[in-house]
Amino acid sequence: MAATPSLEFDLNRLWCIAALLTLPAVGLAKHHVVIVQGLGGDPVYSGQFTEQVTRIEAAARSLPGDTAVHVLRDGGATREAFLALFSRLAEAAEATQLTAYFIGHGSYDEHDYKFNLPGPDLTGADIAGALDEVGTDDIVVVNTSSASGALAELVNKDRRVVALATRSGSERHATRFGGFFAAALASDGADTDKNKTVSVGEAFRFAARQVADYFEGNGQLATEHPVLHGERADRFVLARLGKPAPRPVAGRLTALFEQRDTLSADIDALRLRRDELSVTDYQAQLMPKLVELARLEAAIEAEEEARGDD
Amino acid sequence: MIERDTLLMALLCIMFVAASADARSIHYGAVTDPAVLACDRQSWRGEAEAAASCYRQILGSDHGPAAQAEAAWALRDPKRANEYFRLALEQSPSDIAALVRWGDLYAAMHQDAEAMEIYREALAVSPAEPFAQLGAARLLADSFQSAATNHLEAALNSTAAGARTGALLLSARMRLEASDYDAAMAALREAQDLVERYDWPPLDVYALLAAAELVAGRHDSEWISAALDYNSSYGGAYATPAHFLVITRRYREAIAWYEKAVAIQPDLATAHENLGINLLRDNQVSRARQHLQTAYERDPFSPRTVNSLRLLDSFTDFRVIDDHDSAAVPISLRLHADEAAVIGPYAIALVRDSINEFTGRYGFELEEPVVVEMYPDHEDFAVRTDGMPGLGILGATFGYVVAMDSPSGRSVAEFQWGTTLWHEMAHVFTLEATDHLVPRWFSEGISVYEEWRSGPNAGVHLPRSVLLAMQQEKFLPVLKLDEGFIRPTYEGQVIVSYMQAGLICAFVESRFGAAKLEAMLVGYGAGWDTEQVIGGVLDLDGVSFDAGFNAYVDEHYGAQVEALERWEELASRLRLALTAQNPEGVAASAAAMIALLPNYVETDSPYLLQADALEEMGRRDEAAAALTAFWRRGGYEPTALKRLAGWLADDGDTGKAIEVLASVNWVDPFDQELHGRLGDLLLEAQRPREALREFQVALALKPHDIVTAHYRLARAHAELGDAARAQAHLLEALDVAPSFRPAQKLLLQLAGG
Repeated sequence: MAATPSLEFDLNRLWCIAALLTLPAVGLAKHHVVIVQGLGGDPVYSGQFTEQVTRIEAAARSLPGDTAVHVLRDGGATREAFLALFSRLAEAAEATQLTAYFIGHGSYDEHDYKFNLPGPDLTGADIAGALDEVGTDDIVVVNTSSASGALAELVNKDRRVVALATRSGSERHATRFGGFFAAALASDGADTDKNKTVSVGEAFRFAARQVADYFEGNGQLATEHPVLHGERADRFVLARLGKPAPRPVAGRLTALFEQRDTLSADIDALRLRRDELSVTDYQAQLMPKLVELARLEAAIEAEEEARGDD
Repeated sequence: MIERDTLLMALLCIMFVAASADARSIHYGAVTDPAVLACDRQSWRGEAEAAASCYRQILGSDHGPAAQAEAAWALRDPKRANEYFRLALEQSPSDIAALVRWGDLYAAMHQDAEAMEIYREALAVSPAEPFAQLGAARLLADSFQSAATNHLEAALNSTAAGARTGALLLSARMRLEASDYDAAMAALREAQDLVERYDWPPLDVYALLAAAELVAGRHDSEWISAALDYNSSYGGAYATPAHFLVITRRYREAIAWYEKAVAIQPDLATAHENLGINLLRDNQVSRARQHLQTAYERDPFSPRTVNSLRLLDSFTDFRVIDDHDSAAVPISLRLHADEAAVIGPYAIALVRDSINEFTGRYGFELEEPVVVEMYPDHEDFAVRTDGMPGLGILGATFGYVVAMDSPSGRSVAEFQWGTTLWHEMAHVFTLEATDHLVPRWFSEGISVYEEWRSGPNAGVHLPRSVLLAMQQEKFLPVLKLDEGFIRPTYEGQVIVSYMQAGLICAFVESRFGAAKLEAMLVGYGAGWDTEQVIGGVLDLDGVSFDAGFNAYVDEHYGAQVEALERWEELASRLRLALTAQNPEGVAASAAAMIALLPNYVETDSPYLLQADALEEMGRRDEAAAALTAFWRRGGYEPTALKRLAGWLADDGDTGKAIEVLASVNWVDPFDQELHGRLGDLLLEAQRPREALREFQVALALKPHDIVTAHYRLARAHAELGDAARAQAHLLEALDVAPSFRPAQKLLLQLAGG
């Protein structure tokens, strides 16, 4: 006998609603993405870090709007270069959003976190100070290094989102989180709300799950426990999957798009009110809207196909 | 003068905080104090109140701390006994007899390591001390350690009649466990003479004589009456023979004997403990708990009792799934709540298939519900099986109850849970068809053979260690094959014995036909031994049978055995090619190895390396052929099989891709991606009912991509014509992802456009 589908709802959905409601405001802002590749120490890790940075860079360049991507790697990835870049960003005072990735090895000596770079390492204080100077509160930090949990106290702030590979500085083994996080940025499986974008929250949950599965599947004690700080993790988009269709500026298709946007907003509003309704009432109200939305999407597709045929 | 270890003293002082323990056993002259002996005689005769009064008098007098320790121990106050022994040794540090008795107290309290330390300390001072040798032998014999033999020999060769008596009884017990009836009887007769000569109680001798008769098939032994005439509340008269029913897997009979033991001696903790553990084996959980609790009240130190009670407490974390089809044998699964929805559907299906398969093949219909339990924690399974952790097996069958590791309890590289369950289900049949009289080797042989013949990952695959055993002619004669399981003499012999037993069944079917396997079971069920069975069913004696079997092995595996050396040379060459990153070399060496041992499909199988190399060389079709051959012969490496399934699906061979992926479920059912892919292929093949099961399992695994999981379920329900359930799952999917086009399209389809 088939199991009755569960009618419980989880927190993920609320994040998704928040993302839908707020996404455009962030996506259109001047967005700087800084990717720092640390020292690998041996060819295997160097290769892994290069592959991860390549994937992250591709994801960053897929983002719409005014996005500038800065990659510090190899000889260019020094403490001096990092601090200089952030000074320039601070001076320009144009960033409305910053996403900073740290891909490499980290260490922690019970006092200081260090991200391993050629020459002097980047300290936790360096990173915190640089972020503070940029001049925007919309900051995402992704640090996939060992011991990165030691950064939490230094970089967490009210409006920031911080994804770290470890829960503390004492988790010092090389991590697997970075590989899974980078993979998430190009994975349909990570895109849980199927909106063709991958948010920080989606990428983090995907990677954290893979990390847990890895250790469990191999019968090993987990040496890393990824953590996510900040309540707006689903608001910030890190990658777009596929190219968005250009939006028409006039005609029947425009009207259909407007109807769809209105209905989507209506659905989002209903989803935010779900706790006020019984499950039955909620579903009774939601279903016709979903059917209508499906019809609108079908009409848009038909119209687009007809135009293509012309 | 005894130099006592300070650390040991400190350790001993903090033991025994609880105030009860099991009865003090017969000491055969280890205690010589006349006052204590006078009380002991009353106790051995079952005059409990008089004996207690007698011991209390000693305790309240100035008989000296060693005697007071014995009295406190007899009055079930081990803490006080411990204090008196310590005092006795402080006053008389050279009193080795008191020291050894102190060790005996620790042994009785299940503090084996501390007891052994004390015996060693006594032996360091007096290397021939016979009761210390006996105590050490008992401890080591209980844990089946071969070192027991040295201590036992020393005690047997002792001039101290009491220690020799104890050693003879221990030896008799061990001989009976090894089915060496004649040697056991010889030891018992000598022990009986000594007991009579020294006027010691004959209770242990009588109980073992009764056990020997039980082993020989006589249930109404006069020795039980003799023991009860001596002491009408001597529970050992039944509990000692019951042990031998347990080790021959006749659990229900053992329950009846233990019930008699506790009926006449309600304070016998070991009998309550064994009764509880065997009731658990019979799935009588409530009664088991009652007796285990009673055992705990009498002896809170027993790890088997404590472990079993803790395991019962953990049953609240388990879920029972019943599959009661009125036309078939009911099946109950006890699975951990976190895993039940994942494992349950496959386990039910496999158990049902096995029942159908074995009922027809062995002509026996199960008469009771089958209970299958799976434990995510291997040590829980071990406790379930024998009350103690540290068991080196994957599954155990007690009759209609099967317990085994859950697939999450071991890594996928070492555990085919489906094959293990199939193996255990064959035991259900061989045990129940013979009323538990089947010998271990034949039951294991049928189970192994059925793994190869009809199991979920079928195929005869022998580890190289077994081929080496063939080469070194280590196979045992059929009439002695049980010894390879019970008391192995070299490392790896148990596995070799499993495989030999399986090959014997293959030989019987090949030469005499499958009906003879069933006839052999009938013979065992009639109470025949192996010699009678092969004589009566196959018309052969043991020597002729062995000759035929050896010829069969030589015919089928002789070439492989001869190729072992060459195979190893090729393996070295293959490793060099791997290091040199030379795929052509790897493929060539692997092909040559496969030609020599085509059935070698372990995790380091050359098929896997051959497939990798061929793929790297761009010869994907040949790589797929290599993996197909690996799979067909019972190979089960999940990553390789998933890769093979992907290739097969890409090539449009959906049917075979489904078969390959389905076989991975018997190894790694917790792979979310596997269930999704398999379900998609099943839908593509118009098999929505099976697809639905895969998608339900995928959802139960709480996937990251919950939207796709619900969408897939909606598709399966829609295919099955259940629009309401399909819409419910679409609602779940679209609630998270309102713009998910595939779900929208299906929703419109269900809504009529």
